[in-house]
Amino acid sequence: MIPAPFSYRRAGSVAEALDLCTEYGEDAKFLAGGHSLLPLMKLRLAMPEVLIDLGPVRELSYVREEDGHIAIGALTRHHDLEHSEMLARVLPLLAHAAGQVGDPQVRHRGTIGGSLAHSDPASDLPATVLALDATLVARGPAGSREIAAADFFQGLFETELEPDELLTEIRVPVPAAGAAGWSFQKFTKRAIDWAIVGVAVQGSAVALVNMAGTPVRAAGVEAALAGGATPAEAAAHAAEGTSPADDINASPAYREHLARVLVERALLEAQSV
Amino acid sequence: MSGVIGQAVSRIDGPAKVTGSAHYSGEIALPGLAYAEIVGARVASGRITSIDTAQAEDAEGVAGILTHLNMPKVNNVPLLPSLIGGPAPGETFFPMQDDVVHYAGQPVAIVVADGLEQAQHAATLVQISYAETPSITTIDQGRADAYEPEKIFGGLMPAQTRRGNVEDGFAAADLLIDAPFRFAANHHNPIEALTTTAVWDGDQLTLYDSCQGIKAVQLTVAALLGLSPSKIRVLTRYVGGAFGAKAMVWPHVTLTALAAQYVRRPVRLALPRGQMFTSCGHREEQEQHIELGATSDGKLTAIRHHKISITSPFDDWAEPAFGVASQLYACPGFEGVHRLVRGNTMTPTFTRGPGEAVGVFTLECAMDELASELGIDPIELRLRNITDVDPNTGHPWSSYGLRECFERGARRFGWAGRNPQPRSERHGNWLIGTGMATAGYPIAFFMHTQRARAHLYADGTAIVQTATQEFGTGTSTVMTQVAADGLGIGLRDVRFEFGDTDLPNAGSPVGSNGAMMVSAAVHNAATAVRDQLITLAVSDSQSPLHGADPAGVVVAGGRMTLAGDANTGETYSSLMQRHIMSDAEAIGSWDPPPLDTPHGLLTFGAQFARVAVDADLGIIRVRHMVGAFAPGRVLNPKTARSQLMGGMLWGMSQALLEGTHMDTRHGRWANASLGDYLVPVNADAPDVDVELIEVEDHVTGPLGVKGVGEIGQVGAAAAIANAVYHATGYRVRELPIAVEHLLAHLPSGPASAAAGAQPDLT
Ligand SMILES: Cc1cc2nc3c(=O)[nH]c(=O)nc-3n(C[C@H](O)[C@H](O)[C@H](O)COP(=O)(O)OP(=O)(O)OC[C@H]3O[C@@H](n4cnc5c(N)ncnc54)[C@H](O)[C@@H]3O)c2cc1C
Repeated sequence: MIPAPFSYRRAGSVAEALDLCTEYGEDAKFLAGGHSLLPLMKLRLAMPEVLIDLGPVRELSYVREEDGHIAIGALTRHHDLEHSEMLARVLPLLAHAAGQVGDPQVRHRGTIGGSLAHSDPASDLPATVLALDATLVARGPAGSREIAAADFFQGLFETELEPDELLTEIRVPVPAAGAAGWSFQKFTKRAIDWAIVGVAVQGSAVALVNMAGTPVRAAGVEAALAGGATPAEAAAHAAEGTSPADDINASPAYREHLARVLVERALLEAQSV
Repeated sequence: MSGVIGQAVSRIDGPAKVTGSAHYSGEIALPGLAYAEIVGARVASGRITSIDTAQAEDAEGVAGILTHLNMPKVNNVPLLPSLIGGPAPGETFFPMQDDVVHYAGQPVAIVVADGLEQAQHAATLVQISYAETPSITTIDQGRADAYEPEKIFGGLMPAQTRRGNVEDGFAAADLLIDAPFRFAANHHNPIEALTTTAVWDGDQLTLYDSCQGIKAVQLTVAALLGLSPSKIRVLTRYVGGAFGAKAMVWPHVTLTALAAQYVRRPVRLALPRGQMFTSCGHREEQEQHIELGATSDGKLTAIRHHKISITSPFDDWAEPAFGVASQLYACPGFEGVHRLVRGNTMTPTFTRGPGEAVGVFTLECAMDELASELGIDPIELRLRNITDVDPNTGHPWSSYGLRECFERGARRFGWAGRNPQPRSERHGNWLIGTGMATAGYPIAFFMHTQRARAHLYADGTAIVQTATQEFGTGTSTVMTQVAADGLGIGLRDVRFEFGDTDLPNAGSPVGSNGAMMVSAAVHNAATAVRDQLITLAVSDSQSPLHGADPAGVVVAGGRMTLAGDANTGETYSSLMQRHIMSDAEAIGSWDPPPLDTPHGLLTFGAQFARVAVDADLGIIRVRHMVGAFAPGRVLNPKTARSQLMGGMLWGMSQALLEGTHMDTRHGRWANASLGDYLVPVNADAPDVDVELIEVEDHVTGPLGVKGVGEIGQVGAAAAIANAVYHATGYRVRELPIAVEHLLAHLPSGPASAAAGAQPDLT
């Protein structure tokens, strides 16, 4: 299918992107890697009248170590996260998860900001930043604000962002010495596919991919761990409070089973790191 | 023989394809080209009560719209498989002749516009109302009305196969195996969609069509439109995969020609991916039930093999399930029966190893079950039952090689010493198992005379032509080799031309017969030119070869010499220049042996697989596949190996991933996209090893070629399913293998046991 007609503007900087957004209002959408937005436009599930291309905004592509946290520009591509030496050292979970997204072509185009702003519960990075207790920085006409990852994802394709806000940065606290263990488990039938279920673990924080309308923390598992449960005991709670989909790939019962098995594997792997 | 046959020559079309200079049917540039978009029926059964094209006609760029209200009437043409060499419509139904809807996606309007986007947009503006009636789209829905057709496969094959007396066979058996199987529908999904470009010039029609048989396209369109075939030319240079979807000539081809006539402009139609699921057939949803009787020493006494499947409202089509399955083993009693359910789908069609890929799966899974029941090694059980003659006719095989396939395949795979006990190997979460199966694929001699033309210039270069085509299998490469070999000139001195119905006749390369039949004609054309020039040389007093026995002259590098005396001879060029000849030419032809040739005709092979099954998740990963095949003469080991590897991966795909599922509420396929219809990607491919076993065959044409391709798929899924049993103790009863069903039968792994929750997944 072919997208509905739209006009196209390029933003050279954050300021220009925000100006263009003010100019076109609700009719405009930001275009980052385009790997989620363009498929939706082709299906005519999204019909923005104006695309504001963030491609030239190079100032938002970076990974930096700052005071106690890692700052990641929203336009950093999955490929760059995957191959960042600093992330491999300090936040291996994020580098690894980014390397599990789609295929090399997708990773060369897609951006972390686009992935988070798109808010698809089947995506890998939303659950990952949730497990990492990240803070998301948004900038709008009134200035910048910070949104906790736990508050950011509101539903399928819905986030806390206002239409005139640009996601600029993802801040991830450097895991404490006792919470360095991590694991990312992604279950697919075929290589390069989206997760049927996935699990991101950092220390004793556990987040689930594709087990509800948003990425979710496995609260039952975390509570059990805090109470001294073994990984196996804690993993039994993995499906609690989730609402997995019933689709051609898996039944809800199978997804719940996958969540329990994958959480146990993730916890065991995180312990051994 | 110059030795160029049998060389691992790289594909001659490779550079054009990887650099993008190869132009496919949808890339032919033409002035004034318009684009067509089909509107498919939204309902699966009913009538069109109103159709309003006014808004669509007013849309920008629209050149014309055809519906049943203004579509010209076409002739009825019977359904006959394209391997016969005649008209070959994919279904006897032709759309837009009346207001009846037989299946969802059936073309109900065709919109033509200046641009593709405009046609797509206007297609959404055609307003259609339907009076919907209940539909039947699965076997379950129509089972009560199942019937036994007289013939299947377009009337080409009887619906029943019987040999000896099965009841006596079962009575004599010490052991019975009874195994029912279910198979999801499959769609071919070549990466290049079916695409037709139609250009009229007066009453002459040129079609650029992405197809498997240009002659079939020419004859089908001629028959439907009541035109003389001499008015129609079909050109197909490159085809991006076919897998059977392009073997028959589906209605969209003729619809495009009619649309071009209507708007008086060249028109192109490229099926969008979604419409690929409702426009070019599929492998039908089916169930097979097999019963084996055997003596305690493993000799088969009876096989009863029944199939039920769903077909269209208009054609008795079923893939023949018991061709190969009735021929592999010397079992005295055999009964095969096809039953059909009429449903609201289009007519199914040839799909990757039609019939055999599923029929042999059923037989070979049951054989594995028999082997474990009897405590006999699966290869040994087969060795006790294989036969040197076709058990249906008693005729000896034209060539065999199956024992060598077992032996060399087993050695390459490392089968010896296998612990037959299921669940005997575990590494961490992975249950490891191995399995094998026999493979066979028919050699079908239905085609008519095959022809090719060889044209040699006085400079020693040649053009060799035939109306076959290349759809990605390597035909153009191996035919260049065959032509160079027959002429006795270098590969680089031959240009092989194909893909044009104006060239000498060749049949549709379907059923893995292309290399066999086309090589026969090309070889005969090339050697006819060579023999003309040798005859001229030996009778020419000025030639060093004067007076020699023509049978004692050999040609290599364009030079004729005495066999065993390379110094006595001359080049084609010197001979031709002396005779002031600018060229020499011959048509070579080949007639296949008669259908009742006193030979059993199959290609044989053996398949092996090693799988790992995650004990807690049920997911299956194939670790290693080995296939050993005896395809007669191997023209090019590189392209042959690639074909066979591809076939084996399709077998893996059949076992693990591929299935189209019906949404019965709407009578529509639920997963009609490449995102939801899963086929493996490169990263899923395990190690795949191919063993080629050359067997000499004097029946299948002058070069003894039997054919590669589909046999690579046959048996591969069974080897995987048998390996899954060996790994887990679970007998696979459906394809693709449902992970959730498998999981319910697995030993509880550490994770799920500790979690205390064994889900009920059945
Ligand atoms: C074939 C394929 C396979 C894929 N497989 C996977 C997979 O396995 N796992 C996975 O997680 N993802 C997968 N993806 C999705 C991929 O990761 C996308 O790149 C990502 O989800 C979106 O990033 P993007 O930069 O392309 O965003 P875009 O498509 O450009 O934008 C997505 C949305 O976010 C908005 N947006 C983008 N940037 C910003 C910003 N800075 N501020 C505010 N709003 C913004 C856009 O307006 C739009 O609404 C796949 C995609 C494809 C095409």
